[in-house]
Amino acid sequence: MAALAWLFVTSISYQKNLLARPFHLLPPDVTLDNYRMILGLVRFHAEGQAARMLASMWNSLVVGLVVTAVNLVVGTTAGYAYARFRFAGKTLSLFALLFTRMLPTIVLVPAFFLVFRALGLQNTLTGLVIAYCSFTLPFTVWIMKAYFETIPGDLDKSALVDGCNRFQAYWLVVLPVSGPGLVAGGAFTFMLCWNEFVVAQILNTRPGTTTLPPVIAGMNGQINIDYSVIAASGFLGALPAVILVLVFQKYMVQGLTAGSVKG
Amino acid sequence: MKTRRALSESAVAWLFVAPALLAIGLVVAFPLVYSLWLSFTDVNLLRATGPAVELGALRIPLFRWIGTRNYTQVLADPLYWDSLWRTLYFVGAFVAEATVVGFAMALVLNERFPGRPLLRSLLLVPWSLSRIVVGLLWVGILDFEFGALNGLLLRAGLVDSAIAFFKEGWSALNVLVSVYMWNQAPFATLLFLAGMQSISDDLYAAAEVDGAGYWRRLWYVTLPALRPIVFLVLVLATVNGFLMLDLIYVLTMGGPGYDTTTISWHGFKTSFTFFKFGPGTAILYTLTALCLLMTVVYHRLVLARFEPEG
Repeated sequence: MAALAWLFVTSISYQKNLLARPFHLLPPDVTLDNYRMILGLVRFHAEGQAARMLASMWNSLVVGLVVTAVNLVVGTTAGYAYARFRFAGKTLSLFALLFTRMLPTIVLVPAFFLVFRALGLQNTLTGLVIAYCSFTLPFTVWIMKAYFETIPGDLDKSALVDGCNRFQAYWLVVLPVSGPGLVAGGAFTFMLCWNEFVVAQILNTRPGTTTLPPVIAGMNGQINIDYSVIAASGFLGALPAVILVLVFQKYMVQGLTAGSVKG
Repeated sequence: MKTRRALSESAVAWLFVAPALLAIGLVVAFPLVYSLWLSFTDVNLLRATGPAVELGALRIPLFRWIGTRNYTQVLADPLYWDSLWRTLYFVGAFVAEATVVGFAMALVLNERFPGRPLLRSLLLVPWSLSRIVVGLLWVGILDFEFGALNGLLLRAGLVDSAIAFFKEGWSALNVLVSVYMWNQAPFATLLFLAGMQSISDDLYAAAEVDGAGYWRRLWYVTLPALRPIVFLVLVLATVNGFLMLDLIYVLTMGGPGYDTTTISWHGFKTSFTFFKFGPGTAILYTLTALCLLMTVVYHRLVLARFEPEG
């Protein structure tokens, strides 16, 4: 935690004070200039790089939200079926899901690279959405399966008795009381996408098409940008995921532990 | 009547899971098979002609089959084996640190004390950060010129000159282990805590009546009950350790020299810096095999030992 606080301190410091020795934990003077620079409010020598901040945050947001939506619709439905129904091929397909969870995503990326090149999906957000589903969907199915197992099956049964069909029982009766599970699955998926670096770095190389982590990493690789500026972008970029986790912590902890422990 | 219901239940179930399984098939199974194929071919990204699968306007290149040549070439490279031993050290050290620290934090957070709710809610913060930000943040602390730790040590007079944590390979590798631990141990803590809370208080009370002290209760009550979770933490940490790339990217880029080059970094560089997809996918496939092997081994080790006891 102290480390994160220090990131914040550096982000409002002048680089010359960070370099000063003897060293001070509390900066002698604070500034918001670093934030102004990355938000494009003041001109400075590396504003080209910094100008990508906001665009890439927007890209991250779009990709994160679309992947989360796809996961919640498709993954939740499958999770429900795994929690409630007995059917041929259930054990086998569950085992396959578990297997994909242990799979390194990076091994899939060369294939994505070539196929996306053939499809013209390189440097597009659509491509990232597709690639991100490969590591989020198996998780979502698993977390939602564990969540639905905590909801009493009598609920669906009484809905069936009342004349609902299977889908109506799920859509009209079970889903409306599944808020905490949906929040857990959704927040987790969004966090994974927001923080993902390697896939975005490889697939979306054209400036303006990539997400936030590659942009921050790119600024880190430039010697002409002060650390205090990069710290500001890192802090700003970390905020959404941190806030998400702090706000939805209760649900996420339930969902994650249920999803992992029962695996 | 009964069979008809069972049949329809199966059919309905498949309707529910089909979209997800179809999607996973497209975005996981297909790329997985295609990557495996690539590892047996001489991929040349510049060549547009050659064998290909054509689906309408879509043309997926197949390249030329060269058997196991990529694998033999990769395995003949001493860099591969150096990276492998380094990876094993990295994974071993990381798994040990993350499990021990994660467990210790869980023990502390399982006790009642003022400030516990606050600490618990902050627990997940390091885990929720992108590893790019995690790396940045530790640069701010460990950097030779402006790092806070060096600044503090210098001011306290504990060192005469700043420590260059990333200059020497061995220390850089261990810094990577610790930084990754900082990022991942909270998740282990979370799982341990969930496990500890499901242990019945009666067990502890009974142990106390039998005269067991804190450490004996820990050893005979807590640990045995947590065995499935220990297994889970070990497996997840091992797989995460094998796959870690992003921290290497921000902190060391595999250097100095090749001193922090792990198998995953080696495969990443070969594939996406040098664009040698053939050898690159071969390296990444050996990594995949290692991950799955570790999962199976742990499963055998941990489950086999306590299943007979019930």
